[in-house]
Amino acid sequence: MSVTHDEVLKIARLAELDVNAEALPLLAEQMSRILDYVAQINSVPASEGVKPFVPGPDAVRFRADEVKPWPLAFGPAKLAPAFRDGFFVVPKLGQFEEAES
Amino acid sequence: MSDPSEALASAKAAADRLVKAKRLNACLTAPKDLRKSLLAQAQGAHPSGVLYGMPVAVKDNICTLEFTTTCGSRILEGYRSPYEATAVAKLRAAGALIAGKSNCDEFAMGSSTEHSVYGRTLHPFGKARVPGGSSGGSAALVAAGAVPAALGSETGGSVRQPASFCGVVGIKPTYGRVSRYGLVAFGSSLDQIGVLGRSVHDAARVLSVISGRDPKDSTCEDRDPLRLPTVPESLQGFVIGIPKEYFPPDLDPAVRRACDRVIRLFREQGAAVREVSLPHTAYAVATYYIIAPAEASSNLARYDGARYGPRFDGAVDVRALYRATRGRGFGAEVRRRILVGTYVLSSGYYDAYYRKAQQMRALIAQDFRTAFDRGVDLLFTPTTPTAAFKAGEKLADPVAMYLSDIFTVTANLAGLPALSLPIGRIKGLPIGGQFIGQAFLEDELIEAAYAVERVVPATTEA
Repeated sequence: MSVTHDEVLKIARLAELDVNAEALPLLAEQMSRILDYVAQINSVPASEGVKPFVPGPDAVRFRADEVKPWPLAFGPAKLAPAFRDGFFVVPKLGQFEEAES
Repeated sequence: MSDPSEALASAKAAADRLVKAKRLNACLTAPKDLRKSLLAQAQGAHPSGVLYGMPVAVKDNICTLEFTTTCGSRILEGYRSPYEATAVAKLRAAGALIAGKSNCDEFAMGSSTEHSVYGRTLHPFGKARVPGGSSGGSAALVAAGAVPAALGSETGGSVRQPASFCGVVGIKPTYGRVSRYGLVAFGSSLDQIGVLGRSVHDAARVLSVISGRDPKDSTCEDRDPLRLPTVPESLQGFVIGIPKEYFPPDLDPAVRRACDRVIRLFREQGAAVREVSLPHTAYAVATYYIIAPAEASSNLARYDGARYGPRFDGAVDVRALYRATRGRGFGAEVRRRILVGTYVLSSGYYDAYYRKAQQMRALIAQDFRTAFDRGVDLLFTPTTPTAAFKAGEKLADPVAMYLSDIFTVTANLAGLPALSLPIGRIKGLPIGGQFIGQAFLEDELIEAAYAVERVVPATTEA
């Protein structure tokens, strides 16, 4: 199968990832090769009755629902690029601003 | 070792050895910081711990308090975790010294340790070769003698493949044997912390310390830590299965010769050897390269420039900030896998790729159950189809790179324990043999590996 440049850009938008124009042809070609390769699993006869397998415990064990201090060596302010009054600071969401004005 | 002066001497010697191994670009921690930290750790280590004074390097995708945790990525440049991984906390509680962070492929995505923002790690036996990956830094440090053991992580063979390339022992435990708390998530249904060691015993005793229950990880089984087996006199009583799909006609003849030599040793040691079939093996790499990128695309959504690491500023709104930060912060291989993962999960493709891959995974796991139900205790295979390849050789062809995991991904898909140990050399480069065992029977893997390690001519040409 061949992935088009437009499809790569669409997927990149879904993944919130900038893809620059020069990288696009190689990326589309490599994605096509990878998807071609992995599509070989469709040559295995349908296995509709097979239940998906996930390793690990049969049931998720929950911790007791109690509030207790989290033993971090330092707070989130130190690891965030910008932090103010207990919140992560990010640029405004442009679309909402326009809708409100 | 139980004397503080011995621990201090061990810390100093480890710091010296790590500086000597600097040419490999395997350790990401600055020598000055490393020496200072090792000496401080030696002074505060628990003398009663079973690993007292033992330096253990830690892959850069496992959180530590002492050093930065960057996953070899620009997007986490300078990141210091506010908590440490349970595996690291257990090592420290056992008196081990955390001997810096080891280089790896970005977010553990790669098979050559060429995809790190800090540059590639060199193979300790030949700088033109790769050490394997993604735990290539850990493998190179152990192979170079800088540390006796190191932590790595496995999603599709990232401990065993570099162990094979570098001529050391690598153990990937059963999914749920070791807590994943503090291991930066890549493919959550596949990820496990593993151990690389210069011998089976070194790797096994570190695994024993880091294994066991952890209330902070709900996927970690409620079990006691692994108990180490004794070194057996022979392999009497073992039934070892040889899966024919791992010995295709085009397998490198030297790899085949080395494996045949080990199989002869099994018989000489008293084991029964049987050919078995794992018929869905041919689809394992394809299955893996759907499931792992799908899980990665979700796990890596958290790196957005708001909560971790550097932010690439100048964006007009928050979505532009996300895209700019992620587009410039992730390297080419990670970007490619996020895109493939998003693609296979997207509407219209989900059934053909992701759902089908989940079904294939069940069939692959069933193959193993069938083999074990027929009385086989362990399976033996080559770890990799070739010895270490040349740097740059597979960079332009992602599928060729993925195929170097062909013999390792199945154990991850089935959640089974596996161990690679050196079984010979090809033109001076090490190759590994792999045992795959039944879930939570790592002790059997280790027992068999002890017996083989004692007799296999690991440094002899195959």
